[in-house]
Amino acid sequence: MAYEWDFSPVLANAPLLAEGLANTLKITGTALVCGVVLGLALALLRLSPRRFLSWPAGFVIEVFRTTPPLVQLFWFFFALPILVGIEMTPFVAGAVTFSIQSASFFAEVFRAGIQSIERGQWDGARAIGMRHDQAMRRIILPQAVKRMIPAFMERAIELMKTTTLIATISYADLLFAANEVSQKTFRPLETYTVVALIYFVVIFLASQIARLVELRLARSGESTVH
Amino acid sequence: MRWDFASVFDNTDALLVGAAGTLRIFAICLVLGLSLGLLVGLGRYSRNRWIHIPATIFVEFFRNTPVLVQILWFYFALPILLPFQISPLAAASLGISLNSAAFSAEIYRGGIQSIETGQWDGARALGMRWGQAMRRIILPQALKRMLPALTNRAIEIFKMSTLASAVAYVELLQQGKLIASLNYNPIEAYTAVAVIFFVFLWPLVQFSYFLERRLKRDE
Repeated sequence: MAYEWDFSPVLANAPLLAEGLANTLKITGTALVCGVVLGLALALLRLSPRRFLSWPAGFVIEVFRTTPPLVQLFWFFFALPILVGIEMTPFVAGAVTFSIQSASFFAEVFRAGIQSIERGQWDGARAIGMRHDQAMRRIILPQAVKRMIPAFMERAIELMKTTTLIATISYADLLFAANEVSQKTFRPLETYTVVALIYFVVIFLASQIARLVELRLARSGESTVH
Repeated sequence: MRWDFASVFDNTDALLVGAAGTLRIFAICLVLGLSLGLLVGLGRYSRNRWIHIPATIFVEFFRNTPVLVQILWFYFALPILLPFQISPLAAASLGISLNSAAFSAEIYRGGIQSIETGQWDGARALGMRWGQAMRRIILPQALKRMLPALTNRAIEIFKMSTLASAVAYVELLQQGKLIASLNYNPIEAYTAVAVIFFVFLWPLVQFSYFLERRLKRDE
């Protein structure tokens, strides 16, 4: 018996899927901005010569790199609200989890980038009278950031894929919308296929842009870190 | 707020069942993912376009879609096309294994390409065929360079195994959910699950750091 494909019930629910995609982009964007800022802070703390700063930062990075993101999400959604006595919406729980989780990966990218800058740059900055933080901000980071761009884009794409986990705590992202549409239309095959293709198009485009940027950096003779 | 881990320790059996489930799906996906990845990686390296193009499409598709979407597709969508049901273990294993195959294929390809052409020439000069040269000369050298990346893949597979809970496969996180809902102790239950994962994964992560340092020193 050949199955008769019928995409029209799925297409009739396009607005629901579009809203899901918008929410996916919203959680990805939020976690990306927070994750990068927090990741930079964690990297700077970890590189600090003071142990009471570098050890806690290293601990956070290790814990969030070494545990599954879905476990982290459940912990922040189901356990933390009871612990601190606050309400946690699925969006907030997801934003907090994915921000810290991606921050611990971004921190390693920042660290590799900063450490890839030659010692002479530090010496030169010191020679013209800059303090550590001035040298970091004006001399080291601007050069390091350029080298980190490919690794940074790769992590951002990973982050977008990770945000699908938020569907498991009922935030209405694209994957959650897929679940809803498939139950409404009794067309799981078509629905999940369409949604997989939407993810593919968005993520594939992002990957191609990342590849182009990396090629251009390589052609301009810029070394990169991974 | 008082922490009370007694309710978690009372459910040690449930957690052991979960740990067994996690280790089972990890082992399946590790073996399937890394061996299929080698085939696909060699396929991408092939000059025959009937092998090269499908391998490339496979890699691009599975690298550029989220693994949870793949698992749910295999669980909810694929059975419509098949005359039989797909178990949660089968759906999750398919999703995680094929996803890992696509990522590890790129590791194999990169590793093989990093071996100097002189090694191929030398093997050919000794009268080896392509397959022999690959098996005896190229792969053993490439494997050493790929080991850190492959270890990282193994760590990712272990973490991805939690996604099987989304299709109600019995593994550690699923058991954590069960314990939390039966005993009203989400803090302790989920903390315990997180700690168990950390204990499993920390040695693996340290091992990957060690491999990376050794590779950097040797090259």
